[in-house]
Amino acid sequence: MAALAGANLIYGAGMTESGVTFDYAQYVLDNDMARMVKHAVQGVPVNDETLAVEDIAAVGPFRDFLSLDATLRHMRTQSQPRYMDRRVREDWEAAGARDAYAVATEAAKQILEEHHPTPLDDGVSAQIDAVVTEAEERGRAR
Amino acid sequence: MKRNPQAGAQRSAGLRLQMFSDADLDDLHRGTLEVLERTGVFVESDEALDVMADGGCRVDRETRVVKIPPYLVEDAIRSAPSTVRLCGRVPENDVVLEGGRVGFTNFSAGIMVVDPRTGEYRTSTTQDVADLARMTDYLDAIDTYEHAVEGRDAPETTLAIRDAALGLKNTTKCVGTGAMSTYDVDAIVRMGAAVAGGEDELRERPLVYFCECPVSPLKLTKDAAEVILGAARHGLPNNVISMAMSGGSSPVTLAGTLVTHNAEVLAGLVLAQLTERGAPTIYGSSTTAMDLRFAAASVGSPELGMISAGVAQLAQRYLLPSFVAGL
Repeated sequence: MAALAGANLIYGAGMTESGVTFDYAQYVLDNDMARMVKHAVQGVPVNDETLAVEDIAAVGPFRDFLSLDATLRHMRTQSQPRYMDRRVREDWEAAGARDAYAVATEAAKQILEEHHPTPLDDGVSAQIDAVVTEAEERGRAR
Repeated sequence: MKRNPQAGAQRSAGLRLQMFSDADLDDLHRGTLEVLERTGVFVESDEALDVMADGGCRVDRETRVVKIPPYLVEDAIRSAPSTVRLCGRVPENDVVLEGGRVGFTNFSAGIMVVDPRTGEYRTSTTQDVADLARMTDYLDAIDTYEHAVEGRDAPETTLAIRDAALGLKNTTKCVGTGAMSTYDVDAIVRMGAAVAGGEDELRERPLVYFCECPVSPLKLTKDAAEVILGAARHGLPNNVISMAMSGGSSPVTLAGTLVTHNAEVLAGLVLAQLTERGAPTIYGSSTTAMDLRFAAASVGSPELGMISAGVAQLAQRYLLPSFVAGL
């Protein structure tokens, strides 16, 4: 509802238990949810191209839209969840039948192992550490 | 087939919910002005009382109740910028808060975690602060990093400063900090300035932002006032987040809750604008209902959704960027 009302920054990703606990796996799932919400609030643009009346005429009742240029062109505009599983049950079972939370837990572990943002320059890092040290000394002195 | 251009068609862009009509918003606004003028807010900080008295508020030094005339509220609403930019260490992570643009951030100030490596439910540590900043850096739909959990393995007095340092080091997105005093604000500004290359540069590209929570009903505590004053003086974005609980610290009716909520946020806004005209301020909300059966905040309730949607609409009426509870 907040997103539909156009709130600029909606917080809460990763939270469980009314704000006591931060759950890494839930955070990964909420990121997927946030992306889906951003997708939905864009709505459905209506214009000659999106109405696709010519394409509908060309395909008619007996063929499908899979091989159309427009389908390829707009493919990337579709919503693309990473961890919400859209496969049918049979395929999901064949792939190990792991629920969303288990998959997200794996993803969280992998992100923690592999993702390392560019570190700050040593000089900058040292300046930051100096501020922290100063605060800690002040805290001890009080 | 030739389809000629259409002359002037009205089109929708995006999907939108308008919970309140203009008349509803007018009533909420007038109710708020009345509360601020007649009832006033409690302001704990002497410095804030001085600023508000000098700015034209009626201040009772004994009770520390500040009554704010409507013209000052209207003036503060107009002098605050309608766009706030929260910048990342890399420009592609800058995010613009304005109008109806929808963005997301993480929950903040958790005290427990569920560890993905062990499945363990445990107290949050400084390592979690760093790890969650890194995860936020990675997650594509999360726009800024809020101080996610408290590093509880280190002294509490320096928690805000240490955790902000870990944020700056471990994510290239804008860092929302949990400063609780003037000292915290100044220290965090020094750290941000070190990354930005100077304080002017930091003001130009705010890599950090602040937030504080008035205490409902109608109280600006010393720590909240100090953060508002500090952020305004440094010209850095500040998020005034009221966290009323409908039925407990605000009226049980949601409209009444929005009135006290609005009064608390606008009192913070007035203080910010009287401190420094044009201080970038975000209209925040963590307000929800109190489940009167359990005397606990109901988060993830229909009430939370409706309050957040209402808050977003109020902020839009005021041309202020909004921050609300949601995901």
